[in-house]
Amino acid sequence: MTNAPILLVEDRPDDALLTRRAFAKAGLGDRLLVVSDGEACLAALLPEEGMPRLSPAFVLLDINLPKVGGLDVLRQIRADERTRHLPVIILTTSAERRDIRDSYRFGANSFVRKPVSYAEFAETVRVLSAYWLAVNQPCPPDPAC
Amino acid sequence: MQHRRTIVASILILVILACTVDLAFSPAVGCCLSGRSSSSAVPLITETLLLSCIALAAVAAAVRFREAGAQTSRRLEEAREEAKRLLKVIDNTSAVIYLRDSDGRYLLVNRQYEELFAIRREDIVGLTDHDLFPPAMADDFRANDLKALAHGSPIQMEEIAPHADGPHTYITVKYPIVDATGRAYAICGISTDITELKRAEERARQLNTELEQRVRDRTAELEASTRELDAFAYSVSHDLRAPLRAVAGFSEVLLEDYADRLDKDGREYLNRVLAATDRMGGLIDDLLDLSRAARVELARSPVNLSQLSEHVVAELRAAEPDGERSVEIRVEPDLKAFGDPALLRLVLQNLIGNAWKFTAKKPDARIEIGSAAGDGEQVFFVRDNGAGFDMRYLDKLFVPFQRVHSFDEFSGSGIGLAIVWRIIARHGGRVWAEGEPGAGAAFHFTLPPRGDEGAAEASREAR
Repeated sequence: MTNAPILLVEDRPDDALLTRRAFAKAGLGDRLLVVSDGEACLAALLPEEGMPRLSPAFVLLDINLPKVGGLDVLRQIRADERTRHLPVIILTTSAERRDIRDSYRFGANSFVRKPVSYAEFAETVRVLSAYWLAVNQPCPPDPAC
Repeated sequence: MQHRRTIVASILILVILACTVDLAFSPAVGCCLSGRSSSSAVPLITETLLLSCIALAAVAAAVRFREAGAQTSRRLEEAREEAKRLLKVIDNTSAVIYLRDSDGRYLLVNRQYEELFAIRREDIVGLTDHDLFPPAMADDFRANDLKALAHGSPIQMEEIAPHADGPHTYITVKYPIVDATGRAYAICGISTDITELKRAEERARQLNTELEQRVRDRTAELEASTRELDAFAYSVSHDLRAPLRAVAGFSEVLLEDYADRLDKDGREYLNRVLAATDRMGGLIDDLLDLSRAARVELARSPVNLSQLSEHVVAELRAAEPDGERSVEIRVEPDLKAFGDPALLRLVLQNLIGNAWKFTAKKPDARIEIGSAAGDGEQVFFVRDNGAGFDMRYLDKLFVPFQRVHSFDEFSGSGIGLAIVWRIIARHGGRVWAEGEPGAGAAFHFTLPPRGDEGAAEASREAR
C-alpha cells in the first residue's frame, strides 16, 4: 500500500465532512486531502513550472463543481503527460447515463454513485479505497518524466 | 319558281330539238351539220338520232342540275340548323368559349363571354384582346393562342381575366382549327372559372401553413419543456439527493457517536428520520427512473430477458436482510427480445420486485417469468401467487403514485408500474395485468420484434 495522499474534490461542506469521517472510519483520515473546486484541483495536480506538484494515489472527483466542472478537470488531467495515468474515480450523486458515459469517455477509471444511506456510503468508501490502494497496481513512473 | 324555270328550260330544249330535226331534212343545212354529202337519207337519220341523244343528255343534265341545286340548298339549310344547335350548345355552358383568327381577331364568342365581359358578339368580331383587356393580360392571351397554334393540338393552361370582384382564374383549353388543306386559321378557347377552387386551394394552403407553424411552435414548446424536465431531473438527481444524504449521514453519525447521550426515545426518533430519508431516497430514484424512461434515447439491441431476470432475482435474494426467503422462482430459459437493455432491466426489476414484495406473506411463494404465443406476437409475463389486486382498481395500476395497497401493508413509491408502462409504450409494446385479491397477479407485456420499431415512435405521445 502506498503512502500517497487521496485527493477529494468536493464543493459541498456537508459531503466533505461526511466523506472525511468515512475515511477516518476506514483508517485513512490522515491520507485525505480535500479541495473544493476544479480550479484548486488542477492547481494542485498540474501546477506551473517550479511549483510543488501533488501526486496522489487516486482522485475522487465530483461532476458538478464550481469554476471548472468535473468532466473538464478530468479532460485536463488526461491531456497532461504528468497525470495521464493517475486513477480518477468519479464520485457523484448523479446516475445520469450521459454523465456515466461522458466520464468514461473522458478517461475516468471508475464511476461511483454516492448512496443516500451513510452506512452504505462509508462501506463504499472503504471498499473503494482498499481496491485502489491495496489491490490495484498503479502505473509505474515513466523513466522519461 | 324552280319548277317554272325547269319548264321553260324543257320547252327551250324541245324547240331546239324540233329545229334540229327540220334542219336535218334540209339538205344544205344538213350537209353543213353532218359534213357529208346530202344525197343519202340514212346518215341524216343517224345525225338526227345523235342530236336527239345530245338533247336528251342536256335534259338529263338540266334535271340533275336542278336536283343538285335542291341538294345544295338543303345542305345549306342543314348547316344553318347545325350551326344554331352548336350555338345553343356553346351558349348554354358556364364556360367561356371564343374563336379568334390566327391574327388574334375575334370571330365568335359564346353568351357567357358576352355576359361576362359585357360585349355583344356582333360587336366583338374583328377586335383583338388588346382592344378589350389590359396590355399585360392581352399579351398573355395572345402568347397562349400562339402556343396552341404552334402546338397543333389542344393545350391546357391557367389564365387570369378581370372580373367585377377582382381577377378570376380560368383553366383554359386552346386548340387550333384547321381548314381542308390543314392550315390553322383560327384558335378556339374554352375557359372555365376555377376562382372558387383556387381560393379554396389557397385557404387550404394557408391552413396547412398555419398548421405547420403551429406544429413547429408546439414542438418547440415541447422540446423546451423536455429540456426543462431534463434540467429538473438532473437537479433532482444532484441537488435533492445531496441534502438528503446530509440528513441521513449526520443522523447516522449521531446514532453512532452520540448514542450514549440520547435516551431511548431520542434514538427511536433518529431511526425514524433515517427510515424516512431511506424512503425519500427510493422515491427520488423512482422519480428519476420514471423521467429517464421518458427522456433517454432508446438504444436497442437483442436482449436475453431470461438472463436479465436471473440477475434481478439474484439481486433480490442478496438484498433480503433476513437471509434466504423461500420463494420458488421459475425463469423460462432463452426469452429473447429486442429493446433497450437498461430500460428492460428496469421493467423486470419493477415487475419481479413487485412479485417478490407481494408474495412476502405467502408461505409457498411462487414467481414465474415466461412467455406465451399471443395473437401473432410473443407475450412475456411475470406471474405470482401473492397478494394480487382487485380488478376494479385496474385503471389505477399504471398511474404514478396510485397505490392499490396501503403503505402499511406493502411499502413502495407507487411509481414502479408507471415506469414499466412508459418503457413498454416507448418500445411500441403493450402492457396489461390480471389479478385476484389473495390469489396473485400476472403482468403481461409485448415488445415489437427487430425491424418493427417504427411503432415505438408513434406511441411516444404515451410519454
